[in-house]
Amino acid sequence: MRMGPDLLVTLQGDLDDRAVEQIEQEITDQVARTSARAVLVDVSGLAVLDSFVARVLARLVSMVRLLGADATLVGISPAVAITLVELGVSLRHVNTALNAEQGMVRLRRLRDGEASRWTSHDDHG
Amino acid sequence: MAVGDEPAFFRQMIDSIVDYEVIRLDEKGVISSWHPGAQHLTQYTAEEAIGKPITLFYTDEDIVEGKADAELRAAAETGRYETEGWRVRKDGSQIWVSVVLTPIRDPDGSVAGFVKVAADLTEQRQQNLALRAGQQMLDGIADYEVIRLDSGGVVRSWNPGAVKLTGYVADEVIGRHVSMFYSEEDKRGAVAEREMAIAARDGSLEAEGWRIRKDGTRFWANVMLSPILDDDGEVTGFVKVARDLTERREQEQLVQRQRDEILELSTPVIQVWDKVLILPLIGTLDSMRAARLTESLLERIALDQAEVVILDVSGVPAIDSGVARHLLKTVEAARLMGTASILSGIRPEIAQSMVHLGIELGGLRSRTSLKDALQLALRMVHAGADVAELVGPRA
Amino acid sequence: MTITVDPAPSGDLVRTVVVVTGESDLLDVRSALRTAAEQVRLRLTATTKLVTAGSELARNILRYATGGQGTVTIEVSTTGAGRGVRAVFADQGPGIADLEEVMRDGFSSGGSLGIGLPGSRRLVDEFTIDSAPGRGTTVVISQWDR
Repeated sequence: MRMGPDLLVTLQGDLDDRAVEQIEQEITDQVARTSARAVLVDVSGLAVLDSFVARVLARLVSMVRLLGADATLVGISPAVAITLVELGVSLRHVNTALNAEQGMVRLRRLRDGEASRWTSHDDHG
Repeated sequence: MAVGDEPAFFRQMIDSIVDYEVIRLDEKGVISSWHPGAQHLTQYTAEEAIGKPITLFYTDEDIVEGKADAELRAAAETGRYETEGWRVRKDGSQIWVSVVLTPIRDPDGSVAGFVKVAADLTEQRQQNLALRAGQQMLDGIADYEVIRLDSGGVVRSWNPGAVKLTGYVADEVIGRHVSMFYSEEDKRGAVAEREMAIAARDGSLEAEGWRIRKDGTRFWANVMLSPILDDDGEVTGFVKVARDLTERREQEQLVQRQRDEILELSTPVIQVWDKVLILPLIGTLDSMRAARLTESLLERIALDQAEVVILDVSGVPAIDSGVARHLLKTVEAARLMGTASILSGIRPEIAQSMVHLGIELGGLRSRTSLKDALQLALRMVHAGADVAELVGPRA
Repeated sequence: MTITVDPAPSGDLVRTVVVVTGESDLLDVRSALRTAAEQVRLRLTATTKLVTAGSELARNILRYATGGQGTVTIEVSTTGAGRGVRAVFADQGPGIADLEEVMRDGFSSGGSLGIGLPGSRRLVDEFTIDSAPGRGTTVVISQWDR
């Protein structure tokens, strides 16, 4: 879903590996085609986020950055957050926000030059 | 007839009988012969007994009722009279005897006397009564299953409590192996056999577990298994007592859940400002409490849409690598939800021991006082702050 | 993909077997674990951890087993002092030569094994692994209702 120069992607349900990779491909294509400036990936609809999905998401974020856009992962639930940390999956280089609204608020702040990058990548907290 | 009238070998035979009383009475019921067995039974010597009526051995109540006469008459009429009853010994003690009276007839058919054979059944009677009382007791215990298994685990007895508990009646279970009441998984794991082995080895076993009723439903059973040993100490079977504790278990789980809720309440996450949460970590963190803490915090983050969380450790006596690991995991999980964390309350001693232990907090922001941490948090929440100051660690 | 279900007389789901041969089977594994967790009334975090661990282990079968085949058996377990979910992940793949090495945190064979096994172990209450070259791999995990 496009929101002006930005892209909002919602992942939902129980996706098989192929579907996840397909979505990754589609997003990358869209960003490249539309020169989007920011991508919000909403995973609140995913009950389970295993290491495969996490890796694809991390890869997606890197790709999007290479294409000159910003990417934020939103909607990780408490249960999924605890599980990802225990699993040892690193999403260190990924920006995060609580939900799509918060993600967009931060985007706006960034755009308006405000300092709100403190849950950005390479940041331990 | 007097003593000595019988042929000698009869006398010898009678004399050799010690466990029974075999005596002769005349037609009126007067004792006319005696022997060691009779003395053993009644304690009277031959001199004391011969010539006395048979009522010598009867209780007062029986004498009043004319029992002796009635019994003799019955014997005379029917040819053989068998009875059981209390008799009194010389010292006044009572014994429970089995008596057989048979008439001796003259050639013309009239009664010339009686032969009385008596045996002491006191001990057997007590055992029977005990057994019956025991069985009645078992039957009365409608809420407990009390059954016997043989040494192989095959059900050998059943009681009303067992019926109530399992839904099976005796016919359906006696002769079958006790594992019929266990779940499929337990059957595969030979749990019943293991329980019997432990009971045999230790002398008893108390265990709890799921059992299956006749209708297929489960109940949570508390089982006590005791081995039955013979005189050589060999296991000849087991006594199994079981009761249904499903309700109690459910209550326990309810209590556990309530305890968890209290646990959550006792680790309060405080919202001090819009979008800023403080989690005061009090006391030592066991892993259960630690996990609960993290869950509570993350749920509050979601609920309050917090942007900054202050983890205050001033109440924690020591931060070892375990605590540090848990803290860092919590911080990382919060970050995945888009929340920044600040550690506050690290006292100099704690900082020192952490350095000694080689604990690294990495990029985690840290302030010694809660006040400083709060100020930082508020700055972070309000826009327009110095980026350089916000990003980057300060231990 | 084959799913066989053995219901107990009381209606409880007793066992589900998922034959893993393709990616869509991972969905069945996750779904079966979820169903079992619901039956046992596992808390949300415990369920998420269990399903995630199951997803990792099932994917290992796909990636590393010979012919990418194996079975996942999910049971509602009612032994001892509580109820829980038990899952067995078995394959006849090449097996793991150095089990200790692989189970050590931080190990990475370049694929997902590095995270899958030690990571999965941290997510569940019980974890046992039996694997050797030529013998395939069997991982058994359990998550308890406390």
